[in-house]
Amino acid sequence: MLISKMAAEGGGKEMNEIKTQFTTREGVYKLLTHSEYSRPNRVPFNSQGSNPVKVSFVNVNDQSGNGDRICFNVGRELYFYIYKGVRKAADLSKPIDKRIYKGTQPTCHDFNTLSATAESVSLLVGFSAGQVQLIDPIKKETSKLFNEERLIDKTRVTCVKWVPGSENLFLVAHSSGNMYLYNVEHVCGTTAPHYQLLKQGENYTVHTCKSKSTRNPLLKWTVGEGALNEFAFSPDGKFLACVSQDGFLRVFNFDSVELHGTMKSYFGGLLCVCWSPDGKYIVTGGEDDLVTVWSFLDCRVIARGHGHKSWVSVVAFDPYTTSVEESDPVEFSGSDEDFQDQIHFGRDRANSTQSRLSKRNSTDSRPVSVTYRFGSVGQDTQLCLWDLTEDILFPHLPLSRTRTHTNVMNATSPPAGSGGTNTGSNGNNSITSTPGNSIPPQLPRSNSLPHSAVANANSKSSVMDSAIASGVSKFATLSLHDRKDRHHEKDHKRNHSMGHITSKSSDKLNLVTKTKMDPAKTLGTTLCPRMEDVPLLEPLICKKIAHERLTVLIFLEDCLVTACQEGFVCTWARPGKVGLLSSQNQANSPSGTVV
Amino acid sequence: MEILMTVSKIASICTMGANASALEKEIGPEQFPVNEHYFGLVNFGNTCYCNSVLQALYFCRPFREKVLAYKSQPRKKENLLTCLADLFHSIATQKKKVGVIPPKKFITRLRKENELFDNYMQQDAHEFLNYLLNTIADILQEEKKQEKQNGRLPNGNLDSENNNSQPEPTWVHEIFQGTLTNETRCLTCETVSSKDEDFLDLSVDVEQNTSITHCLRGFSNTETLCSEYKYYCEECRSKQEAHKRMKVKKLPMILALHLKRFKYMDQLHRYTKLSYRVVFPLELRLFNTSGDATNPERLYDLVAVVVHCGSGPNRGHYIAIVKSHDFWLLFDDDIVEKIDAQAIEEFYGLTSEISKTSESGYILFYQSRD
Repeated sequence: MLISKMAAEGGGKEMNEIKTQFTTREGVYKLLTHSEYSRPNRVPFNSQGSNPVKVSFVNVNDQSGNGDRICFNVGRELYFYIYKGVRKAADLSKPIDKRIYKGTQPTCHDFNTLSATAESVSLLVGFSAGQVQLIDPIKKETSKLFNEERLIDKTRVTCVKWVPGSENLFLVAHSSGNMYLYNVEHVCGTTAPHYQLLKQGENYTVHTCKSKSTRNPLLKWTVGEGALNEFAFSPDGKFLACVSQDGFLRVFNFDSVELHGTMKSYFGGLLCVCWSPDGKYIVTGGEDDLVTVWSFLDCRVIARGHGHKSWVSVVAFDPYTTSVEESDPVEFSGSDEDFQDQIHFGRDRANSTQSRLSKRNSTDSRPVSVTYRFGSVGQDTQLCLWDLTEDILFPHLPLSRTRTHTNVMNATSPPAGSGGTNTGSNGNNSITSTPGNSIPPQLPRSNSLPHSAVANANSKSSVMDSAIASGVSKFATLSLHDRKDRHHEKDHKRNHSMGHITSKSSDKLNLVTKTKMDPAKTLGTTLCPRMEDVPLLEPLICKKIAHERLTVLIFLEDCLVTACQEGFVCTWARPGKVGLLSSQNQANSPSGTVV
Repeated sequence: MEILMTVSKIASICTMGANASALEKEIGPEQFPVNEHYFGLVNFGNTCYCNSVLQALYFCRPFREKVLAYKSQPRKKENLLTCLADLFHSIATQKKKVGVIPPKKFITRLRKENELFDNYMQQDAHEFLNYLLNTIADILQEEKKQEKQNGRLPNGNLDSENNNSQPEPTWVHEIFQGTLTNETRCLTCETVSSKDEDFLDLSVDVEQNTSITHCLRGFSNTETLCSEYKYYCEECRSKQEAHKRMKVKKLPMILALHLKRFKYMDQLHRYTKLSYRVVFPLELRLFNTSGDATNPERLYDLVAVVVHCGSGPNRGHYIAIVKSHDFWLLFDDDIVEKIDAQAIEEFYGLTSEISKTSESGYILFYQSRD
């Protein structure tokens, strides 16, 4: 134990140089120096006290096959370029659009992937003083400004995203801890909005905007305490994961504004969040220097990972390296030819993926062999890659037994009699099924079981459902498409709640009321298990790749993209993808390097 | 935020009175905590090292309460603790909520008692903190001893008479003292021996672009004792190679963390400042605890930070940022400002290696939530 630790440290000492390539089991990833995007003068940006550099991509479905566009902010500037990826060197002399702002700085941005064409894209930009701008960097237009008078929120925009499947709705989070749903078609009004309570939940509230004519914001969410640092929609667009400075992950059903589950960091704020491509897992990163893997179905922490030497600023799943054995691996890699789909799957496509997976799970009592790949970057200037393997996803008995000893609150622990014996037979044993493993066939009926907590939970949620349904129709902006989905959604949701009816719905209810908000008391509960009660992952690789803290990590089909606070956006070719550039690069290099 | 900054900047240019009322206005009469006083301390010539530590300690509530309780005890001969108690008492009993106080008596006493501080040079804030806490502990221990010898202590019976060998812990120890366990494993016979030592604060090495969590992990990294540093193993009865590591066995109520930002450069014959960016969260748990620690998962809240501004230990300036009733204040000698919690990130340090001057966290005070 000690010796292995020593060895690891020895490696750490030599790591002060900046890596330009690294090797994983799938091969060598190489930094493409000619594909570096930055401000045209390539001068490092003095980043002290500035907003993080962020990157957004869009594919405009250009016939030429060169449809990728990149947007990034550096300081008070915002750039929009053609992104040539691993194919060609970056040409920084010709940004398609460049904007310099005064008095307020861009903090984040998001393209609408549904409406993007070669002639027009809708880019939302959030600002440090709270405003949100809708611009078209191809037409070079500024179509709209939201929260212009800062009447809605005066604090920094921390995250802005289009609602998946919508061309009009978008969600904006602020460092005030509030989040607002806007419709691009509506105005913001000339007075501060009046709100009406729609939903009061455990440490969150949702208000509708009270006015005669429909105006922005449509909804105001107040989530937790302190800044809301990031949010992410589930791949099917139905759930919303939020991470806050109070250290909590909160997962909501977006349409019904119901809280699905909660997690607390080991300590400190949570800074970033992402979903696995199939929507089954959420990964967070935060001020405890850890990445934390949370099971959506079981609402519990299944692993933590330690590799970073400082706060984790971005986590992202790699949908192209994630694989499910015994099934068509193309399911993950092939369905995402549009790289932005890792953030926004189309609703229908994602549904099909998910249902296929869950169908297999429900018929096969034995877990399929699953490996998820995710990455993280942090303020330590390091990139870490992580594998989430079968033994972590479906822990075998020894681990669950230790868990029953140490974690008194954990209701997943089987009753005393059956504790040691459910190894192979859990297909029929709904009470003791391994968390996240299989949904036994008889479960649909368990909805009507006279289990009081379950019954309460269900009746409550259905009441809320109808309440929200009427609320939703008021702002009448959810497309027909969404309404059609409503039936589906019910089934979908019931499926999910079923996942934890067996394991912990009653437990969860107790916990929430008992533990309230004191983070010190969440330790040892499912909200925040002790360090020794969950597996601790080690990174596959952990490399220092920049001088400045890293702020971006995006997995594309041919490459991964990182960016640091100095304003350099780097492209790392995946194994075997590097030749594309070097062969073409001979001719192109002058334009790429001499600027 | 920008507006707030401008307001406070204007305020600092104005007279002290205007500054004080500006702070009061900024906090607002409804929000202003009852029985709380925010008083700047006059600088008596490079005494900001002292002012910043005193403010930080004043906002370590358990410490403040004990000092004020000491003040209410029968009058004693003047010493550094009575001077501190007078100063704290004078802040706590001000009619006004905000203002400025000259800590004259305390500074005079400090200069009288220790020649190190008896000049107008800039001193190291950590050295001062150490000196102050140890001096208070000594005073308290001496008083206890006196009381026992005078037979005034009712429970001064035989079984606690062995206090000559082991001084009794004082409230300074109750608040700040933790225990490190020093585990040494002989690489020949694998025997582990452990030795405990107490600490009032932990001095941790800093690295560029890391967190205080990482620096604390580094503090407990395993060292190999070899060649001239071999370890004498009792079991082997000879010098052997060994692995040594220090872990926290008893977690203190207030964890004071000193970031070792001043490094002696042999070539330059002087100290240079490491302005590294070391982030510190508002909430902290320790990873470097020993297996037999009693409360290894204690959750800490950041309550105060002594910030060093400038390029070296004996130059530059010290300020303190403290948390009081859910908001943050910046004490810069006689100036007191309310700051946004998000502004704390300005005190993490610098990522650029070129610039040596920075405003960076130097001593962190974390208070246990239980």
